[in-house]
Amino acid sequence: MLTSAATLAFLRDVRLFESFDELDLAALAVHMRERPLRRNQILFREGDAGDEIFIVRRGTMLISKAVTGKVEQVLVRVEPGDFFGEMSLLDGSPRSATAQAESEAELLVLGRDGLQALTETNPRGAAAFFQAMVQVFIERLRRSTLQVAEATRWGLEATGLDVEAR
Amino acid sequence: MTDRPAPAKLELLVRRDGEEDFELRQVASLVGYINSRPRRVDAGSFEISEVRSGVVASRPHFILKNTATDRYLLLSTPERFLWDQMNGSTSLQEMATAYVLEYGEFDFDIIPNLIHKLQHAQLLTLEPRSRLRQALARHRGRRVARALELALTSLERIRISSLNVHGFFQSLYRWGGFLLFTRVAIVAGIGLALLGAAAAVQLSREMRDVLDGFGSRPVLGIVTVKLLFFASVALHQIVHGLACIHYRRRVREFGFTFLHGFVPTFYVDVTDIFMTSRRARVVTAVSGALVHLVLGAAWFVVAAHVPVGGFTQAFAAASGIIQWQALVLSLYPFCFIEMDGYHVLVDVLGVPMLKHDALAYAKRLFTGAGRIRRGREEGLWIGYVALSTVSVAAFLAFNVWIILSATT
Repeated sequence: MLTSAATLAFLRDVRLFESFDELDLAALAVHMRERPLRRNQILFREGDAGDEIFIVRRGTMLISKAVTGKVEQVLVRVEPGDFFGEMSLLDGSPRSATAQAESEAELLVLGRDGLQALTETNPRGAAAFFQAMVQVFIERLRRSTLQVAEATRWGLEATGLDVEAR
Repeated sequence: MTDRPAPAKLELLVRRDGEEDFELRQVASLVGYINSRPRRVDAGSFEISEVRSGVVASRPHFILKNTATDRYLLLSTPERFLWDQMNGSTSLQEMATAYVLEYGEFDFDIIPNLIHKLQHAQLLTLEPRSRLRQALARHRGRRVARALELALTSLERIRISSLNVHGFFQSLYRWGGFLLFTRVAIVAGIGLALLGAAAAVQLSREMRDVLDGFGSRPVLGIVTVKLLFFASVALHQIVHGLACIHYRRRVREFGFTFLHGFVPTFYVDVTDIFMTSRRARVVTAVSGALVHLVLGAAWFVVAAHVPVGGFTQAFAAASGIIQWQALVLSLYPFCFIEMDGYHVLVDVLGVPMLKHDALAYAKRLFTGAGRIRRGREEGLWIGYVALSTVSVAAFLAFNVWIILSATT
């Protein structure tokens, strides 16, 4: 349970909660807990079960997806104020990627119960929360589209395939 | 004019043995490109014929025909040279090296342009490179084949390396490495080698007693000697790098990998040395191997000065043998392996494809697809295959003898 002034001040700057007033934030913070991570510590692996969303308060998290053997592709670095892990929270599916601390990190954790409580006690805040989340989803989708294009360009450049000439 | 985008990069996370340890690597598409191994279509799918000018005495041209699509390409002599190397096991980087050795210069556009032409004419394939890999790829439905393919792929991809080593080698050179390339070092090396040779001769008279020093644990002793030797392979590669710095060229990479997927080895990329003189190339190639001469001599001297029949003497003598064996293996060009001596030989003879051509010629003779021809080149090919076969047999016999001597 987090209600300290520092935590509330941090949450005020998190994009997901930008429409929340002080009371809403305090009510939500009650359902959150802190999760410190040492450098390189793995939070969860691809395929693990999970129903929590994580907000990075300090440090950097690496989100990576297995490619082959011990090699993974780095999908994104999550910096302070940004969040990850929401996909398993929303659809209940296993984790789609591995999350690992690149540096010493501190996370705020919001579980399914906390989200449920937010929806029931503060529907207006929950709507704002989900709207902000959808906006972030759209940005991430755009970034993923760029990543696919970049990976395709990598493949074409690495094989020297001259597709235009075909 | 449009700006060309920077080469695409992938950021990869490579896990180490530890549960959480990892390394982040930025892999540019250019690295993938120079390590790619283009493979021409099967022999039955193309024809090639030479076209000589009856008027001007110049290099011949070649007509390459794709028999499946009836498409034709005109290749210059250098392009024909590159085409012959597109066997699926030679990387573009190796082809560029061979090109420099053959023509003494490098045209940076020739390889990509040729690849574009060949792809356009559907004369390159993207199949797995070795026959084993092809067989495994054909049987991916079977669990064993899939597991074996995965294991080989995983081993081949184990590579611990750094592309930012030039500064390290420069510092190493500045802080004492330059001494290796002075006359004093050469004289000291020769002196130590002579002392080592004298000690080796002395030890050879009582070799059985010396190796008996391993006592009841000969296999453990030999394995330890081998492991210690493995560390000297890293030193061998470092000295190659220092030689490269000595000639003011760039050391591009240093690392560890599994050669062919199963032979653990250290390596250093000193291909920049090909932009300098032949003398620099020879010195760079030979200097790494001389590490084994010096270490072997030192071990023999130690073995000759410790109590006879003890573990220390056996250990030192076995280490000396293995170091000098590595020296011979590195510098001896006739062993089917492209070690330092082989590179010096092909550089001096100006025949960068010696092994490839010699094996192809021998295969044609054995399968009845070709006939013996008398010529300088054919003589060189037969000589290479014959000498290499005899040498490999002798090497295996020598090692069997050492193990038998130590264990009986």
